[in-house]
Amino acid sequence: MVWQKEDESDYEAFLKKHKMILVFFVFLFICLSIRLFYLQIIKGGSYRKISEQQRIHNTYERAPRGIIYSADNAVLAENEFSYVALFYPFEQQRAPSDESIRELNKILGRNIKFTADKNWRYGTFVKLADNIAIEEMFKIKEKKLILKDISVIKKPHRIYYYPEVASHIIGYIGEIRADEIEELSEQGYKIGDYIGRGGIEQSYDKYLQGRDGGWQTEVNAKGYKIKSFKYVPPEIGASVYSTVDLKLQKAAYDALKNSSTGRGAAVVLDTRTGAVKALVSCPGFDTNKAGTKDFGIYLKDKKLPLFNRSLQALYPPGSVFKIITFAAAVELLSVDTEKAMRCDGSFELGNRRYSCWCKTGHGEMNLISATAQSCNIYFYQLGLKLGIKNLEKYAKKFYLGQKTEIDLPNEKRGFVPSPEWKKLKSKVSWLQGDTVIFAIGQGALWVTPLQMAYIVAAVANKGIYYKPYIVDRVVDLNGNEVYKHALECGKRADLSDRTWDLLHKALLEAVESGTGRKIRLSGIKIAGKTGTAQNPHGKDHAWFISYAPADSPEIAIVVIVENGGVGGLNAVPVGRKIYEAYFNVESGKEEQQ
Amino acid sequence: MIDKKQFFQHFISDIDWWLIFVILILMLISFIAIYSAGVNYGMSFKYLSVQFLAAGIGFIWLFLFAGFNYQYYRHFDKFIYISSLALLVSVLIFGSGKRGTRGWFDFGFISFQPVEIAKVMFILALASFLDKRVEESEKISFLISAFAMLAGHLVLIMMQPDFSSTLSYFPVTLVLLFMVGVKPFYLLCIIVLGSLAIGIPLLETFLDMRLKSLGSETFLTSLAVSLKIGWTGIYIIAAVLFLIAGGWCLLWKFRVKIPIIYPAILCGAILIGCAVSIPVEKSLKDYQRKRLVMFLNPKVDPRGAGYNIIQSKIAIGSGRFTGKGFKRGTQTQLGFLPEQHTDFIFSVIGEEGGWIMSQLTLFLYFLFIWRALAIAKEARDRYGSLVAAGFAAMFSIYAVINIGMVMGIMPVTGMPLLLLSYGGSSIFSSLCAIGILCSIHMRRHTYY
Repeated sequence: MVWQKEDESDYEAFLKKHKMILVFFVFLFICLSIRLFYLQIIKGGSYRKISEQQRIHNTYERAPRGIIYSADNAVLAENEFSYVALFYPFEQQRAPSDESIRELNKILGRNIKFTADKNWRYGTFVKLADNIAIEEMFKIKEKKLILKDISVIKKPHRIYYYPEVASHIIGYIGEIRADEIEELSEQGYKIGDYIGRGGIEQSYDKYLQGRDGGWQTEVNAKGYKIKSFKYVPPEIGASVYSTVDLKLQKAAYDALKNSSTGRGAAVVLDTRTGAVKALVSCPGFDTNKAGTKDFGIYLKDKKLPLFNRSLQALYPPGSVFKIITFAAAVELLSVDTEKAMRCDGSFELGNRRYSCWCKTGHGEMNLISATAQSCNIYFYQLGLKLGIKNLEKYAKKFYLGQKTEIDLPNEKRGFVPSPEWKKLKSKVSWLQGDTVIFAIGQGALWVTPLQMAYIVAAVANKGIYYKPYIVDRVVDLNGNEVYKHALECGKRADLSDRTWDLLHKALLEAVESGTGRKIRLSGIKIAGKTGTAQNPHGKDHAWFISYAPADSPEIAIVVIVENGGVGGLNAVPVGRKIYEAYFNVESGKEEQQ
Repeated sequence: MIDKKQFFQHFISDIDWWLIFVILILMLISFIAIYSAGVNYGMSFKYLSVQFLAAGIGFIWLFLFAGFNYQYYRHFDKFIYISSLALLVSVLIFGSGKRGTRGWFDFGFISFQPVEIAKVMFILALASFLDKRVEESEKISFLISAFAMLAGHLVLIMMQPDFSSTLSYFPVTLVLLFMVGVKPFYLLCIIVLGSLAIGIPLLETFLDMRLKSLGSETFLTSLAVSLKIGWTGIYIIAAVLFLIAGGWCLLWKFRVKIPIIYPAILCGAILIGCAVSIPVEKSLKDYQRKRLVMFLNPKVDPRGAGYNIIQSKIAIGSGRFTGKGFKRGTQTQLGFLPEQHTDFIFSVIGEEGGWIMSQLTLFLYFLFIWRALAIAKEARDRYGSLVAAGFAAMFSIYAVINIGMVMGIMPVTGMPLLLLSYGGSSIFSSLCAIGILCSIHMRRHTYY
């Protein structure tokens, strides 16, 4: 009869194998089921999202960036529009009709030829003509019936009204780089976007960016439009109101440009709030040229116009550092202000001579007159008495070597040296000679002009620091305030009132009868200090730091003329120009534009 | 002999209606999916009518085969084998080319792929061959002659060339050899040999791809570099051979005495596998190798070799629980899914029918294979069992490779999903095979 009965042992063996095969197939199908469950139930949501993404295609119309205003509501940066004629391969049509091209050429008076791109991919517009004038745009729109396959969109261009004067505080914009996309894509940036580079454009980019509009279309794998979903008009970015006083900014820029070397920086802070009234780095550059071929010359320029000197350049402070040595001496040494010390023009320490800038010597000097005359010999001796530990402590107490945290990008922190640092770096221990030159702001001490302005403003406020800021508020297109600067004075330099009074007296003296005489303005009391910082790479830098009015300070000004020479002769006149602009005082000379 | 009336009574009562029922539901799902897949190409009606026609003819033949006693195939095994070879030879001579392969008979209004029917004939002939020589199953010569039969088909199919069709032959042959009682150890050696022969070139391709996509130094890249230089591979092989020999000696010391023939054969298989991998590497085209390993990491080449897998996974995954609905799958209707009416039909079911429909399809398919195996168990003679098991293996291998491929866990091979994919020849030959299954089932108790 049948196999099962004829040959039982054989059949038993067969059944065993049959079972194994069955188990094997069950196992395979269970694997498939698990995978199916994983794909559809566990990962289903994310795959659904991907399938929606590749189905719906967005064609972007770039949003204009927000407008940047100065403190007096003058427009610093805004947008201009040009019109661009585009062909978007709608409705399975790979090229615009000849008729459309002919008509377009007639309107524009150009000779455009359309060549179909072989590598054409979906979602890409083909640009037919740009820089179309507004009248031409209307003509194209009138002929919409004939030119139905040609779209005209508005393309914003950034325009800067004070391209050189405000170049560093405003910055410019540039197309996003591939390496930036990776980290910024989470914040909604995409390829082809423009982002701010430098200045307010960079630090307030997220407010200035508008919301791109465009068409959302459903496409198939080959990219042909299936049905149009909707058009979203682009939204302009929020308006940024800066604290910049254009009059001061211009005065400072022009004065620096006409200074001995034409290079330098100036910072004007409102001592009561920390608002940046002017922040100039000279030479500037034409921000309107960003993205053009002409921009390349700035990169090659030896004067480094793209470099924002006011907060990126590190200078030795020179004599302007004496205010810190002064404060430390009054606090720690209980110096008798009347006790005189003699300046012979030079000072011997070990077997080295350190000279004063006044080769013949200042004669008898006390604390106030030594500051006013900026006598090095006097401060050498103060420095020796104080020692490096105290000097370093006071430099840090005045927040040197720290960022001011201004709302502008790429600020440098500066540097305060210490014996440990020197040992680590050059294997040589700290010498008394190092302490001596530290006391007059030389050596490895590095500061930015902004830091000095920050300190001067604090000196004017008897030790209260206000964080500097350049943007007061940001207002979106519906008029809502989306950002408002909050006054911040977290930092203090705690010194006794006597110290402040003496320091104010000394700084006033320096302008009235000392090195800063050139700045005296009738009716306005200015306190200040000049500096002539030696610099290993070339001529001395000319410093001038000051605040005014001396009895109820409003503004603090810091000027540095790079390689300008003597501070009292070169930096002070720049400061004077700024004060003239601020206090509306005619100086007899012709008004600078 | 029995008269016609009795024959019909037996036919109606003994035919496996469960099997027919499962097949019908599967085909219904297939028609719906093919219709939906064709909408994008504007070919729904054509696809559906071809599929209907093939299914109709197929069902007629299903009943004809069911009525015909399968035991005759055993007597005519030589004739079946030779005519299958003749079919494959004639397609090489008279066939027409499609996509670079010469595998089709073109009759103008209809074209036919003989390899589909040759597969079925091969199973009939091989099962008969194994059944007749079952006493010799312990011998190696038995294995060799079985593989010689296999080689005849493989060579002719490779000449078309149709790489994917040959893939189903190996598992089917292995299952039949296992069933007939060949020592599992020999089969293991064959699997080792085969996987080395295919695996080494693919591993090389995979490491090569990783090398290009990574760029930086990692363990994998340095391994790939040293493998390319050559000696490392030989060291690894030598180490493996040494381990086998050492293990054998150790076992011998512990008085677990394994005849020396076993380690010798295993080592031989490894060596031959490595040797064979060289001609295999040369014969596989670059794009084929890439396609075979791409499923491991499709993101390496999302627009090229990885595109199919990525889109298919998106299609299936985005169907979620209930699916997007008939003709509403965006992946299918907007043409993101490649080959959606043939190889990727399961993705269409997964997208538009969701988890419910695709799991149901999977379940029905398994039910079908389970029925086929049940038929193998109940068959009245070994030949019937072997044929049924061979068909069960063929259908499940196709299903596992195809469904695994669309879900990204198997290489892209271009194997259709039998019974579900669009394609007249495969539907027709599948239904013929099912007819033979029915014939085995009906005759489990009696001769007609």
